[in-house]
Amino acid sequence: MIDRYSFDAKGAFLDKLDELVKSGVPRKSINTFTPYPVHETEELLDRSQSAVRFFTGVGAVAGCVAGFAFTIYTVLSWPLITGGKEIVSVNAFIVIAYELMILVGGLAAFAGFLFLTRLPVFRNILSDSVEFSRKFEITVERGERS
Amino acid sequence: MSSAEEKVQYHRLVEEEVLAGMRKPRRAYWVTLLGCLGLAALGAVLWGYQIKKGMGVSGLNNPVGWGTYITNFVFWVGIAHSGTLISAVLFLFRAKFRGAFNRSAEAMTVFAVMTAGLFPLIHLGRVWHFYWLLPYPNQRLLWVNFRSPLMWDVFAVSTYFTISAVFFYVGMIPDLAIAKRFEKGMRKRLYSALSLGWVGSFRQWKHYNKLYLFLAAFATPLVVSVHSIVSWDFAMSILPGWHTTIFAPYFVAGAIFSGTAMVITLVVPMRKLVGLERYITIDHFESIAKILLFTSLLVTYSYIVEFGLAAYSGSVYEKGTFLYRLTGDYRYLYWGMLFCNSIVPLTLLVRRWRRNIPFLFGLSIFVNIGMWLERFVIIVTSMARDFDPYSWGIYRPRLIEAGIALASFGFFFAAFLIFTKAFPVVAVTELKEVADE
Repeated sequence: MIDRYSFDAKGAFLDKLDELVKSGVPRKSINTFTPYPVHETEELLDRSQSAVRFFTGVGAVAGCVAGFAFTIYTVLSWPLITGGKEIVSVNAFIVIAYELMILVGGLAAFAGFLFLTRLPVFRNILSDSVEFSRKFEITVERGERS
Repeated sequence: MSSAEEKVQYHRLVEEEVLAGMRKPRRAYWVTLLGCLGLAALGAVLWGYQIKKGMGVSGLNNPVGWGTYITNFVFWVGIAHSGTLISAVLFLFRAKFRGAFNRSAEAMTVFAVMTAGLFPLIHLGRVWHFYWLLPYPNQRLLWVNFRSPLMWDVFAVSTYFTISAVFFYVGMIPDLAIAKRFEKGMRKRLYSALSLGWVGSFRQWKHYNKLYLFLAAFATPLVVSVHSIVSWDFAMSILPGWHTTIFAPYFVAGAIFSGTAMVITLVVPMRKLVGLERYITIDHFESIAKILLFTSLLVTYSYIVEFGLAAYSGSVYEKGTFLYRLTGDYRYLYWGMLFCNSIVPLTLLVRRWRRNIPFLFGLSIFVNIGMWLERFVIIVTSMARDFDPYSWGIYRPRLIEAGIALASFGFFFAAFLIFTKAFPVVAVTELKEVADE
């Protein structure tokens, strides 16, 4: 069973959330639904950093390394001098590595977000039962109460 | 907002009024859209003609091999930049006025990059060989030349397009979930699918905030890098007037300047068309006008430095090129550019003019023209007069080039008009958040 508390305003919603947390309801059994991000909920429920940053970091580093590896591999696979430049022209390859760092980092961040939020949620997509509401809502899974 | 009830009413009103803009369009909308699509179709026909007959139908020849097509490319990439600036940079600086413009600016970025991307293809002539630019080895296993700025461009512009499109889409996910509530039938299914099942839960917002922050943080260096790389298409050569270290910051400042002007050009009529006077206010326009004034001063400073660098270069060719710009065949375009980009925006020093929306709209058109002229002057004058008087020549755009340039505006405005009816043009979620603070 799920207890549901619904509020029109942020203040009352935060007061109730604070009350629930202080009354000893396990944080993991509490979920909130808000019409915009309410940063105070993070303070109350879960202060840990979002893991999106790991996806982003790994993606950015992978993109950068791939940019250098790819350009250096291509010039070494057929070492043709153009414009009197060095075969491994690191300065020029920085541009490619830089752009790939941003591209792969950005896409990895998006992929990480989808993975962590389990989106898209296909059973919700066409259903009207669960909607992004105007209200500030708190749900508590009663079975898990201590 | 004072009482809780007022806030609730405001939330409801924002949703209804912003999404009302997506209702069935009026006749004026259809006429404008058809006009823009007609222009774009005309451009397609002209391009087809050029493909059939060859590049001889354009005015491009020796010594000027880069003309209006490359001018248009640089112009449209520049237009794209302000979108990212308004959206990502102002987000990182927590500027609250951003909320009124960011969605239109992001859409503008995506459509402007799409328009810009067409011009290297049009300029190629043998467009069916465009895939030679993609990084894969040819039959003799030779790869593309990664030392070439043109190759950097391929990576920079495609990265810019991808990240801008992701940023635009991600920013819209919560609003698409709101739009879903208001729609029926096929449209409801479409917005439902696009909103991915967003419900605004704690976990969704937590990761979403981080994602948005990272995308903004990635998009910001892109603003700087993409137009720097476009400038290096020129600056990496040894041509007088192009081979200068100021090009990267000069181009970035110019890009933000022109893009800000285009935001005003687009948002003034859109605000009326969609009925958003309540949400995009004169205060917002004044803030944007300040960015326009600031970037105009940066661009003017760059014009001065450019001449200074030539004067102190000790190179007769550099001095000759800049004197040619000032007094040569294209002098009227150069003076026109100075008038539009450096003189007219000074009126924004007066607060009354910054808060006069029709005046801002007119001024933005001047800046658009001025920035197009700037790119034309930079590209053409340096090629028309290089080192050897034997190879000097004059370039005049032919009608086909003018037609394709005009068509690019048709394509861009058509895409923007479709956007105004297909998606929420103002960030509803963000407006609610700002109102509750």
